[in-house]
Amino acid sequence: MRDAGRQPRRVVITGLGVVTSIGIGVTEFLAGLREGRSGVKPITSFDTTGFSHANGCEVTDFDPAAWLERVDPGELGRASQFSAAAARMAVADAAMGLDELRGKRSLVSVGTTDAESRDLDNLVADQLRDGPEALDPVVARRSTAGRLSSSVVRELQLTDVEAVTIPTACAAGNYAIGYGFDAIREGEVEVALCGGADAVCRKTFTGFYRLGTIAPEVCQPFEKDRKGILTGEGAGILVMESLESALARGARIYAEVLGYGLNCDANHPVAPDRDSLARCIELAHRNAGVKPEDIDFVSAHGTGTKANDVTESGAIRQVFDTPPPVVSIKSMLGHSMGAASALASAACALAIQEGFIPPTINHHETDPECGVDCVPNVARPARLDVVQNNALAFAGNNAVLILGRYRDAV
Amino acid sequence: MTAATEPRLSTLDAADTLVFSAWSAISPFGVGAAAFSDGVRAGASALAPSDGPFPSAALVPDFSARQALGRKGTRSMDRVTALAVGTVGQLLESCGPGLLEHPERVGVVLGTGSGSVQSIMDFTRDALTGDKPYHVDPALFPNTVMNRAAGQSAIWHRIKGPNTTIAGGALTGLLALSYASRLLRGGHCDRVLVGAAEEYSTQRAWLEWRGSGGTAAPLGEGGAVFLLEAESAAVRAGRPVLARPVGTRFRGFFEADGARRALTDCVRSALAQAGVDRDEVVFVSTDGAEEAAVVDALGRTPEWVRCAPLVGDTSAAAAGFQLAAAIAAGRSGHALVTGVERDGTVGCTVLELP
Repeated sequence: MRDAGRQPRRVVITGLGVVTSIGIGVTEFLAGLREGRSGVKPITSFDTTGFSHANGCEVTDFDPAAWLERVDPGELGRASQFSAAAARMAVADAAMGLDELRGKRSLVSVGTTDAESRDLDNLVADQLRDGPEALDPVVARRSTAGRLSSSVVRELQLTDVEAVTIPTACAAGNYAIGYGFDAIREGEVEVALCGGADAVCRKTFTGFYRLGTIAPEVCQPFEKDRKGILTGEGAGILVMESLESALARGARIYAEVLGYGLNCDANHPVAPDRDSLARCIELAHRNAGVKPEDIDFVSAHGTGTKANDVTESGAIRQVFDTPPPVVSIKSMLGHSMGAASALASAACALAIQEGFIPPTINHHETDPECGVDCVPNVARPARLDVVQNNALAFAGNNAVLILGRYRDAV
Repeated sequence: MTAATEPRLSTLDAADTLVFSAWSAISPFGVGAAAFSDGVRAGASALAPSDGPFPSAALVPDFSARQALGRKGTRSMDRVTALAVGTVGQLLESCGPGLLEHPERVGVVLGTGSGSVQSIMDFTRDALTGDKPYHVDPALFPNTVMNRAAGQSAIWHRIKGPNTTIAGGALTGLLALSYASRLLRGGHCDRVLVGAAEEYSTQRAWLEWRGSGGTAAPLGEGGAVFLLEAESAAVRAGRPVLARPVGTRFRGFFEADGARRALTDCVRSALAQAGVDRDEVVFVSTDGAEEAAVVDALGRTPEWVRCAPLVGDTSAAAAGFQLAAAIAAGRSGHALVTGVERDGTVGCTVLELP
């Protein structure tokens, strides 16, 4: 139970684990963000015959056996492989010994859109061919959403742990990080491994393709002639802990989590709502104790669809008298679904630490209807104190996270 | 343009206790909390012969989206979404209109398995069998995204606070409770509709059957949703305190035979967190797994409440139904709700029943 009267704890990010189409591990991811690397290539994870275009942002150089030490990769679906590998990387990046981690009460929360829908796709193909009686037992067993978080527990052999998967679709990474923030803040857990994971799958590509929202070549957020999203994949896991814990063990602190806001449009199953998103941004600012003018850049949801980018920039202009730079790393990574806002959070933490704003690549001419400075094509050096990370999901699920530079007296 | 300067507004005092002050269920016993309570008390199984791989299953009788919610807006709605929207609707109806007076301060936290595996796999099947790989019904696409049931519950009932989907196998209901409690303590909303829903479908049955090598218990379905709020808020609104969730803990295990030890430790730590002596536990609402671990922790065999034999294995909804069964028992004192997820996690909630 919470200690009544105790000051809420400050929460800091001390480790990052990332699996992305522009690089695996913090060093490669950071280099990719700085140089504006593109993860786009033709999709290979399923047969794309019959689609007039099928580019995506797959992770093509991921060998699960190289990252997973305890769990047999064959017992995990691709999204769980990503989340378990990213968690292991994050703990190593935090320079936290596994015995030390296991001695602390922890939370594992992993956001996702599709969980192991890649496995479900493959099971459908098997079932069409051989009937349901022949479904592979190992694949059937590993195809549940809960596996994305429980696989982290097994890989790291955690015991005093709460493991939860948060399938709140394309905003899920921010939801998962927010959950870790609250759990540490109130003193219930000492360390949280939080983020998101997803694997490219036929089901989701097909759905977006049918809606006419898959870009033929590249993803161009805020571009005048933007043509849509590219589906992507990967995982981002953050090690979060209380400031006392980080200081006590002399950890490197990437950034402080200042707060977050959640709300629901409760309006439309797929279309975003400007006023409701604006309210969510205001909630996040209030919860984090910051003002709009404090925000040094916004990492936008920025999917590159007509509807998202105009609605999102409209909401930003509603809240900010003069909007700060508004960038979308989906221009580089595509839309990695449940991993997207977790990877964007990792990018924000790195941006604060390293002093630059990641670019929006593939950019030629900004849509005047968006009217934002999207830091076109080239990263911009900047001293950053407070950054905002937006995430939107189907069903109008909004989540906005605020990160700040760690300063020892606030 | 925005008032961002005032500090976080939490309406929840640190010393305030969270309580369940209302609940609803749509279960194989029928629609409504009363049907579930009567069914559990009567102890008669709702399992009936089934044409899936399992010889029997427990379905919500005569349930369909259209029948439960009307024609409008249900053409594309799948079964788990209808169960969720319907169960939330039952709860709202029982509480009266005041509950949504400030819809942006009401959260929805809903557990599911993997959304609807039937919807997901049907969509892929259409893609694989149509003339073109994109000849799919776009109106069905949102059903394949796992936040559909929670999101549509908010859209249907106009609930604008935090809206979160939770998944964790057999522990889903307890994980949702833990999430909802932190949402309230974090000041993100004033009350939460928290629960879980699971549908019976042919596809889920085949996955469970094959995944367990044909050893799984018969499946059930349904939804259970609870109103979680501060005790002071419940009292102000004239709602009863049905139960206080005074401690919830989870543990992980990674050895094949580690579940028993993990659950014993979990029960002990949940009791310690709640400040409840093991002798004060009146009964245990169990999912049927690792009951010996509970006996180890309590030092005696407690009275058991078991709903799985009555409503089947309701997977993501199982712990939600166990919570409901504990409240429906109408007893006073302390009760435990325990769960074991074969993927390597266990959970326990301590309830104080007034």
